[in-house]
Amino acid sequence: MNEILRFIAESTSGTYYKSFRYSFESVEVPSVIYDDNRIIIMSPDKIGETDKTIRTSKSVEDLANKIMRGGKPLFRFFLDGTRSTYKVDDISYGERIYPIIAGQILVGCCKRTKPDIFKSSLLETQIVLVLPDCADKDGHKALFFNSLKDKINNLNVLKKRGVSFQKVLSYPDIKLKEGEKYENKGIAKIQDEMVEAEKRMVVQLVKEKKLNYQSYLIKDGSIEYKKIGSDDYRDLSAIKSNYRCVVGVSKTFNPELFQDKRHKTLAKRIAELPLFHRTQAFRYTHERAPGVEFCIWYLRIRSTERTVGLFDGVIKVEKILVSDEEQEKGLDSDEIDLISANLVNERNPTCYGLDNRWANHLYPVYLTEKYIKSNYISEVQFLNLF
Amino acid sequence: MTKLIGRVAATEKIPTTIDEFYFWTDKEKILNPFDVIKAKHIQDSYTFGVVEEISHITDAPSYLASYISSDFGDVSYKANTQRVGLNFVKAKVIGNTKDIYTPVLDCSEVSLGNEKEVQKALGLDEVKNPLACGYIEMYEAKDKIRLPVFLNSDFLLGPEGAHLNISGISGLAAKTSYSMFLIKAVQQRYLQKDIPKNESVAFVLFNIKGRDLLAIDEQNADLSEKDKELYSNLKLNDQPFENVTYFYPYDKNDSINTYAKTKDVETQIDANKAFKYKYLYEQDKDCMELFFSNIDDPQETMSSIINLILNGEANFGDIRSWEDFVEEVKSYTEKNASGKDKSISVLSWRKFLRIIRKSLTNPIFAKRVVPTKNETRLREYITQKIKKNDVYVIDIAKLDEDMQAFVFGDVVNSIYEMKLGQVGDREPDEIPSKIVIFVDELNKYASGDVPKNSPILRKIIEITERGRSLGLILFSAEQFKSAIHDRVKGNCSTHAYGRTNAIEVSKNDYKYLPTVYKGMMTRLPQGEYIIQNPVLRSLLNIKFPNPVYKQFKNG
Repeated sequence: MNEILRFIAESTSGTYYKSFRYSFESVEVPSVIYDDNRIIIMSPDKIGETDKTIRTSKSVEDLANKIMRGGKPLFRFFLDGTRSTYKVDDISYGERIYPIIAGQILVGCCKRTKPDIFKSSLLETQIVLVLPDCADKDGHKALFFNSLKDKINNLNVLKKRGVSFQKVLSYPDIKLKEGEKYENKGIAKIQDEMVEAEKRMVVQLVKEKKLNYQSYLIKDGSIEYKKIGSDDYRDLSAIKSNYRCVVGVSKTFNPELFQDKRHKTLAKRIAELPLFHRTQAFRYTHERAPGVEFCIWYLRIRSTERTVGLFDGVIKVEKILVSDEEQEKGLDSDEIDLISANLVNERNPTCYGLDNRWANHLYPVYLTEKYIKSNYISEVQFLNLF
Repeated sequence: MTKLIGRVAATEKIPTTIDEFYFWTDKEKILNPFDVIKAKHIQDSYTFGVVEEISHITDAPSYLASYISSDFGDVSYKANTQRVGLNFVKAKVIGNTKDIYTPVLDCSEVSLGNEKEVQKALGLDEVKNPLACGYIEMYEAKDKIRLPVFLNSDFLLGPEGAHLNISGISGLAAKTSYSMFLIKAVQQRYLQKDIPKNESVAFVLFNIKGRDLLAIDEQNADLSEKDKELYSNLKLNDQPFENVTYFYPYDKNDSINTYAKTKDVETQIDANKAFKYKYLYEQDKDCMELFFSNIDDPQETMSSIINLILNGEANFGDIRSWEDFVEEVKSYTEKNASGKDKSISVLSWRKFLRIIRKSLTNPIFAKRVVPTKNETRLREYITQKIKKNDVYVIDIAKLDEDMQAFVFGDVVNSIYEMKLGQVGDREPDEIPSKIVIFVDELNKYASGDVPKNSPILRKIIEITERGRSLGLILFSAEQFKSAIHDRVKGNCSTHAYGRTNAIEVSKNDYKYLPTVYKGMMTRLPQGEYIIQNPVLRSLLNIKFPNPVYKQFKNG
């Protein structure tokens, strides 16, 4: 028992405590987590589409019905990522005690070729360990943690179970502000790692030429990735072009962030969106992703009469403005209509009774989520590795 | 080549066990109850299972979810994505190639078996004393396999197990056809050279409806090439029965009381293959108790009268004809019958007369037999002449129910006594070592409602309980198995279930069957049976070819 923890403590000259191991997801009270945190200003100069005449909303019902009758669905790929985080022990370096965080990261993509053929296309699973920066006493950083990972993977306890860590990460060892916890810093690291995996998967799909104008990808949640245009990828326009056929669909969003130019909330306008109507699309940029412009709009896929909350049945749709023309004039309104109509057609079946967010969920995305979550190592098994 | 069709699923709520496991398959994969599948197991072994139930599930937790997913009840709605769904199959474990019976593991590969594997799984390989009892078909389309089914005859005809019971509703179950198929297989089996000299078999069949069994030595002209091929696969020839003798009830004016055409019977008589049977008072009065098979006699007054008569008390010892007998009985029914035994009341004698009088008006109760006109007494003929491979068909179709019981009881008694060596002076070697008696409508003689003191019921119970050792084998059939006396059906080693109805399968006799099999019984096609035999590891859904003998479409 505790072979891994003992080894980490010995390798990093720390002291471990065999403290209570648990999953953060199982002890924390669930709260509404919005997929966005960016204020979207609705003003004439922020219109993100070529048709500037849309006033309140636009119906895509006829187009949706037309596609349903004869056309093929636009979306063929569905991508989602999930992570599960665990506090596996505490370790002390000097006078301070730090948590050791472990996590499972799963990113997967499913492909729908026919209504009854829905198969997994890609799956990436990672098990990671997050230690404080100070575990590396000599400051070798990546080299140290990489070497530590290899040594841990050589331990019998892991070999015997056929499990290995893909990465040992570190969270910053800095003075905590009020309300901050080292645990959250560790979890954030794992979250970042998951986002990176999602990005890698999009790149892979593009490389394999799976995404095109007849075959779009829905990414569950926002595509407003941190560092999307950072040095990680050399050519920003090439990176952006990877997202030419990628649409981010958020089930949950903060309606208060949708404001007019006087910063007055326009939440009511979203709440009152008629069925199968979309809002005008707006553009915005994010300091986390310099050089990248996003186009966003809201779409109602289910009637308020059939749902509980005002915003149930409304999804937030995001797309990156890729070409110079798009950045200049906004995304082609026809494409926005096409995406919206296809999203309307994805409203059924529902995951009613299985997920409280059923009114905002798209079934293929739900299935993808179920698929990747089915690949988790169980909590009991995972915690008992340590 | 192994054809992978799914994987085992062991869940918290439904684990795999020593007895059963569940696996999932594609929702469009066609499997049927009774199909044999194999699951990969530890130490490179395979566990075989028989499909018991197939269910289709989706992730919809309720009908409401399904309704909502059709755009809130739009019946014409077609979604871009079909709800994820699969078929999951319950399989009953019937064996393992290395006799490992630990539960199969989650995610183990499940595949279809080939012919050899299915044979082995069901215990149909290396059958000793093989006796064809039909064939099974498994899987669909190009995977379809057909296997002949051979049972060990020791478990059908003794000494290991004996007696067959067939149940199923009239017409749709083809009970007579299946019995005759088995009898054909038995006859052919005992004509083979490898049978020991002291082993022989003869058959006594009762024709109870129409002309069903009255031309079993004539070829079925309508036998198709497919049927012939099936017989060939079962290592049986497609020829009708051999060594057949028919017995028809005598009717007045030298005619016979039968549904068979007079011309046909005459042809049989000319060929010395048919006889008219009669009952004579002096020789057959011992059978008198058979008139009372369905009569409750709690005070045993009827028994007392029968004893008095059989003991030849009073004037009964001098009587030589049934007419005189009736007259004598009548004299006991008169008020203040002078000089008569007073220990039995007049009312009892009246009851006795009422019961026998109707039956004794039947012409088969005659004064004498004329051998030159092919007349005979059944008891005499059977006990004196039956030899190996003989097939005796006794026609009782046109007799009323009481007379049918009388003839059946008499024949059964005769054979039983012959096997016990109580009648005749034949050498034991001349008597067939096994005699198979086939009777349809067994419920008439051995139902749970038959009075306990019924002599026929007593005899049938004796045959089913002791017959195995005596070489007396009962092949019986009835519409509803649940109606049959527990001791009779409990002693049958082989049971064949044909098509029946929903009320019947709800009875206790079918409790041990999985619900799906019960459902199947209510819709089994004609000519299909579910059979149970001690050597089989599982129930089998078998089929058999059309009869080899002449069929009368209109009865």
